[in-house]
Amino acid sequence: MTPRSLILAVESSCDETAIAVVEDGSRILANVVASQVAMHAASGGIVPEVAARAHLRWIVPVFDEAWAAAGATWDDISAVAVTEGPGLAGSLLVGINFAKTLAYVHGKPLVPINHLEGHLYAAWLADETREVAEPIFPLVALIVSGGHTFLVEMRDHLQYRLLGETVDDAAGEAFDKVGRLLGLPYPGGPAIMAAAAEATRHDVVFPRAWLGDTFDFSFSGLKTAARRTIATETDGHGTAIGESALTADRVAELADGFQESVVDVLVTKALRAARQIGAKSVVLGGGVAANRVLRDRLAAGARGAGIPLVVPRPALCTDNGAMIGAAGARRWAAGSRAGLDLDARPSLPLARR
Amino acid sequence: MAGRFLAIDTSGTNALVALGDADGTLLTERRWPAGYRHGEELLTRIDEMLAATAVSLAELGGIVVGTGPGAFTGLRVGLATAKALARGLDIPIAGVATSEALLAAASLAGAFEPQRAVLLLPAGPSDRVVVSGGAARLIRGGEEAELELGTIVVAVDLPGRALEEALALGAEAEAGLAAALVRLGARRLAAGGDDVARLVPEYVTLPRGVSVAKGEVRWSHDHR
Ligand SMILES: [Zn+2]
Repeated sequence: MTPRSLILAVESSCDETAIAVVEDGSRILANVVASQVAMHAASGGIVPEVAARAHLRWIVPVFDEAWAAAGATWDDISAVAVTEGPGLAGSLLVGINFAKTLAYVHGKPLVPINHLEGHLYAAWLADETREVAEPIFPLVALIVSGGHTFLVEMRDHLQYRLLGETVDDAAGEAFDKVGRLLGLPYPGGPAIMAAAAEATRHDVVFPRAWLGDTFDFSFSGLKTAARRTIATETDGHGTAIGESALTADRVAELADGFQESVVDVLVTKALRAARQIGAKSVVLGGGVAANRVLRDRLAAGARGAGIPLVVPRPALCTDNGAMIGAAGARRWAAGSRAGLDLDARPSLPLARR
Repeated sequence: MAGRFLAIDTSGTNALVALGDADGTLLTERRWPAGYRHGEELLTRIDEMLAATAVSLAELGGIVVGTGPGAFTGLRVGLATAKALARGLDIPIAGVATSEALLAAASLAGAFEPQRAVLLLPAGPSDRVVVSGGAARLIRGGEEAELELGTIVVAVDLPGRALEEALALGAEAEAGLAAALVRLGARRLAAGGDDVARLVPEYVTLPRGVSVAKGEVRWSHDHR
């Protein structure tokens, strides 16, 4: 076990301003998230300048609320952990400079955290509803979000080997783009899942990009196929948000076919990777892990292979501070420290192959 | 507000930190070329300045921060740092428009009324922003700033993109920025300062074709 710790964690890599206080890398004392989804919905995507300004606007109220909920004093705090990357440079800068200054003012160590490592460590946050308390090594983790899609092997804490990643779009990005083509609201993930749930026929089949025996992913071909189908069925007029030329039934069927294609590839590759490395558990994380079909399908597959699937609750799959606190506790115990010159690392990788 | 306060401005390519007295006197300042990497040096410069003047963090009675307009990268760093200082030390904060401070400094140096002058700042590689009477207006690359005859132009961070005379005034404005920031900041702190949560940069240039959508942020509380 790691030494006892209380971590104040700050996350601002994309469009969520999030601050948490986490005890011993697992128990959440406070976890407050201000999400800009509603703000970006009107523009159909994230505008970095608007996102960064919103981080500046909300970071103090988020901190105040998290701090009050945690009921901690600065004497109790072991370290301040903050996401240093990957993410939007301007958004990262707000959290980094806020966290850095709090650490400076209170004389606490500053622990830089890789956002993707945070998504993995969300699986270690306490959740009494799961069949296993925490993931078991060796494990295979599938992280799927708007910005990332990758498979990683972990044989011990803080040790990663990249098995595969997307060669073009992230899965979440494909959900957003196809959602827009179908005339569904932003973000596309939840909208497509909700639409697909209404499908009464399941005979729309979109291509799957298997990329041979690799564990890499590709979603651009699927996106193109979906765009062609939608264009054909709408006489090439395409669709604008909210005014699809397709019937609701047809939107549901197309959403279902698209979702099936994404989920099939993700689940098949994750399970094959688990078999290949002799995994004792499978971890699923990232915003797209909130997708019920993906969770259920992967859970069923893992059960069939006789290994547990660990999926954080949806609120801990999307970006949040608690996951940075969980990773922060491990990194703090391992001696990771950043200086006052910590800067954003927008394209920080998690691991090498 | 009691005692000394710390002033920060990171809106331009030159960043500054300064210490002021409650009556608005500039005690000391540090200026350095930050380019677009304000975040790497800001806290170190603050720490050095406090150490050199034997002022401790606990003695600070307020924070003053320049709110631009200017380079958004720098403004994010400056405001995030200023907010954490104010919250962390539990002291008031005051935002001062950097444009107002620059025009005040230029008018003091050039002995003219601040209302007679406009400020010209860069907005990306080709666009510029003109600030007059507290309002900012974007001038696209290739367009001319239409100004009334007799207007004094103060140009900052625009080498090669403004008249020599305007750039010279801009250099004087920059040299006097710390003193003006401290003078205006002291007044604003004495009047109670600003809401630390609501303080955001004065003006942000958005990418072409994008306008700000009005929308609410959604809160979630997850205390399990
Ligand atoms: Zn994420």
